[in-house]
Amino acid sequence: MTSRLFLTLAFAVAAAPAFAADYQVNLGPMPLDDETKAVIAGRGEATISSDGKTMSVKGNFRGLPSNATEGHVMISPVTGVPGKPAFDLNIPKATSGDISGEFKLNAAQAAALRSGRLYVQLNSEKAPADVPWGPKGTLWGWIFPAHPTPGQDVPEEGHWFLPQTDTPQS
Amino acid sequence: MRNKTLLLAGAALGLAAAVGTMAFGQDAVRMGRPGPFTQAQVDTGHQAYADNCALCHRADMAGTNDAPALTGTAFMGAWKGRNTDALYSKISKTMPASAPGSLDEATYTAITAYILRANGATPGTTAFTPSASVGIGTIANGQMPAGLDAAPRVAQAGGAAGAAGVPPRRPTSRFSLPTKFGLTLKGDIKNYVPVTDEMLRNPPDGDWLMFRRNYAGWSYSPLKELNTDNVGKLTLKWMWSMPENGTMEITPMVHNGIIYVWGTGNTIQALDAKTGNLLWENRIGPAPRAPGPGPSTEETRSLGFWGNYLFVNTPYGMVYGLDARTGEEIWKNNIVDYKPGIGGSTGGVIVINGKVLVGMTNCGRPGTDDHCYISAYDAKTGKRVWKFVTVALKGDPGGDSWGTLPDNQRKGSETWIAGTYDPELNTTYWGTAQAKPWRRDLRGSSTGDTNYANSTVALDPDTGKMKWFFQHGPGESLDLDEVYERVLINHGDQKTLMTIGKAGILWKLDRVTGKFIAAKETVFQNIWKSIDPKTGRPDYRKDIVDQKVDQWLSSCPGPEGGHDWQATSYHQPSDTLIIPLSQSCVFMLGNGSQTFFEMPGTDGNMGRLSAYRTADMKPLWSFQQRAPFLTGVVSTAGNLAFVGDFDRVFRAVDVRNGKTLWKTRLGTTVQGFPVTFSVDGHQYVAVTTGLGGGSPEAKPGTMLTEVHRPPNGYALFVFGLPDEN
Repeated sequence: MTSRLFLTLAFAVAAAPAFAADYQVNLGPMPLDDETKAVIAGRGEATISSDGKTMSVKGNFRGLPSNATEGHVMISPVTGVPGKPAFDLNIPKATSGDISGEFKLNAAQAAALRSGRLYVQLNSEKAPADVPWGPKGTLWGWIFPAHPTPGQDVPEEGHWFLPQTDTPQS
Repeated sequence: MRNKTLLLAGAALGLAAAVGTMAFGQDAVRMGRPGPFTQAQVDTGHQAYADNCALCHRADMAGTNDAPALTGTAFMGAWKGRNTDALYSKISKTMPASAPGSLDEATYTAITAYILRANGATPGTTAFTPSASVGIGTIANGQMPAGLDAAPRVAQAGGAAGAAGVPPRRPTSRFSLPTKFGLTLKGDIKNYVPVTDEMLRNPPDGDWLMFRRNYAGWSYSPLKELNTDNVGKLTLKWMWSMPENGTMEITPMVHNGIIYVWGTGNTIQALDAKTGNLLWENRIGPAPRAPGPGPSTEETRSLGFWGNYLFVNTPYGMVYGLDARTGEEIWKNNIVDYKPGIGGSTGGVIVINGKVLVGMTNCGRPGTDDHCYISAYDAKTGKRVWKFVTVALKGDPGGDSWGTLPDNQRKGSETWIAGTYDPELNTTYWGTAQAKPWRRDLRGSSTGDTNYANSTVALDPDTGKMKWFFQHGPGESLDLDEVYERVLINHGDQKTLMTIGKAGILWKLDRVTGKFIAAKETVFQNIWKSIDPKTGRPDYRKDIVDQKVDQWLSSCPGPEGGHDWQATSYHQPSDTLIIPLSQSCVFMLGNGSQTFFEMPGTDGNMGRLSAYRTADMKPLWSFQQRAPFLTGVVSTAGNLAFVGDFDRVFRAVDVRNGKTLWKTRLGTTVQGFPVTFSVDGHQYVAVTTGLGGGSPEAKPGTMLTEVHRPPNGYALFVFGLPDEN
């Protein structure tokens, strides 16, 4: 597992202007509190393949409390900080379904992909209706280089994935 | 389009901030327009607020810890652009924090009316209803009418054994408050062995005499009857239900076959460690401010021994010397200089050279001369020997780091975890929490460092004089404390201090000089762009430096940590530091309002247990799980580490690889500081279950909707090998 990660990082750090790599994203609830958690829920996963000039997204989601309305790949200045839509994803107007999209990347978007500053966001009908600030939506997840994801309680020896140390800075 | 709208909204808010306080002044309110509530609702709401809200938000609505301010600039920054029905919705679905949605509609509407009145809105003739929707910025200006924060007219009940300055107690709840106080069972422990300074420097193998077992803060036991081969046979020996529910994060203390444990309402019990028989009980009191699971200001985390004394610090700012043989009170003293509602103490004690050292929490209110401090008391008499104020005042070293802020506005830097001690250097090490108010824009300290907040301070335990300080989080703004245990480890001739705070950075300092040696990121963090490899000084994200009161900021980690009070264990034989970590983030508004989200890259796993070799800070192993860990870690010479979690699981892992070797399910969240001890040559493990507390309880309580925990089940569990062994 460690060698797989090393190879992934070696590709990333070697960073020619365009390069192929695999990425992954795990979708979880967007920011919530006890008031909004009833309408902000669900889970999803997707894989992303890229040749450095294009990216292909394939995945699925489930468990939304209300029908999905739209999905985007978003671009952010910093991992974990909300950003702006970059691409529209294909998703059904349902509480579960598939996610897909094929996109051409410009240089800034390609750099954002490599450095963990792209994320997937799904919105839904009810989530949330009355928040005039901050991120608004239902599910989101940050796109990171493919890395091992051991199960619950399963120890990893040695290095384990940390976004800020295992993605290039730009 | 949506984001353009948000940007426009953000620009409007920024413009409002740019025009300064006028936005919150009388000019911003349509004078003469009454609020959608009545004076009768305000009166009812005043009492309901005192009963249900003041415990955390305070009677003056200034807020504390995780509870944001409910009046003034902070409140208006969050709410002036929203409507009254949204405020009602927020309150009715999220409050009280310990039991959201548990009050009736009339009570919630009355509390909403009272909060609006406390922000300058005037009552009208129409009663407030949940659907009444009026712009808060059009009826309120954030200015509390004079006298509104005085005690409500209706007399309080349930205040038994209250001390001066302790707020009244909430009278009704599904939980009950303690009703009897004093020495309810006097002990007669024969052949008690007085605890000497030498025993504190080199604790007997079977004892647990201080917070993290030894002065160096290791939480490591040389006992090895339990080991990786036989831990699978571990079985329950006895269980002791705690007398009341409340907030529970205690360390069971053990001396010579007797367990001493603190319970809600400052009930101290001595138990036979082998059988669980009660030997004495002193219900010191007072009762907590409210029954049931409460905030982190309603507890303490450890006790202390010296001679025949057992020392107890209480959440309302007292320190007691009890007779460890009988439970009788020998002396008591105020840690805080008593003033209503100011100051408490929750971090436990450390006893050094015949002095009881104790820190403070919830101390220092803006505009007063009160500050947070560490203080020391003569172990025999309780007389205060010294105190060290943990904020730098004008003229102190680092005093200019607060800019032009007057001394009476320099607050925070609480010490809510007991310190550690190096006898050779005769130096005690304490962590401090962040400056208050949390955020730079509210604090008024500009980009200053606010010494000695979020620092390590090294003190002479005889005089309280500071030897050095190192600031981990200069000018911190996001409730990311660096207050936790200081672990003292020697690497050859190098004497180091290691600690980790909410930012999730594992720090290594030279504990002789305070110089920075190294830092290691243990979880995802996005608050610091970099840490200077030579000085250890972090460089904050620009939007954090430039924050505004009405701006939401992303913080990874959030106030749950990274690392929180769930303390590390240093397994000395393998040079391994085992660290409970949490993986959640927040969006935080200037007033402290928060929404929570999963930490990027964690796949929804909020709990992580990680091990590092301290010599080179190399990661050794790690595993994650959905539920965060809610106990400290204890490791043993049998190569075991014990830890408990939010979802009631208590487990033993192999120190060498992190594999779980044994686990069991307990009554409710496993919370506190597990210990191990021996009696008659046999090793036992003790751990508490309980609820209450701050962010480590609140964040998973909201985010882990699939986890269901009973609000009772507070107990002390003792495990050992079956008798045939």
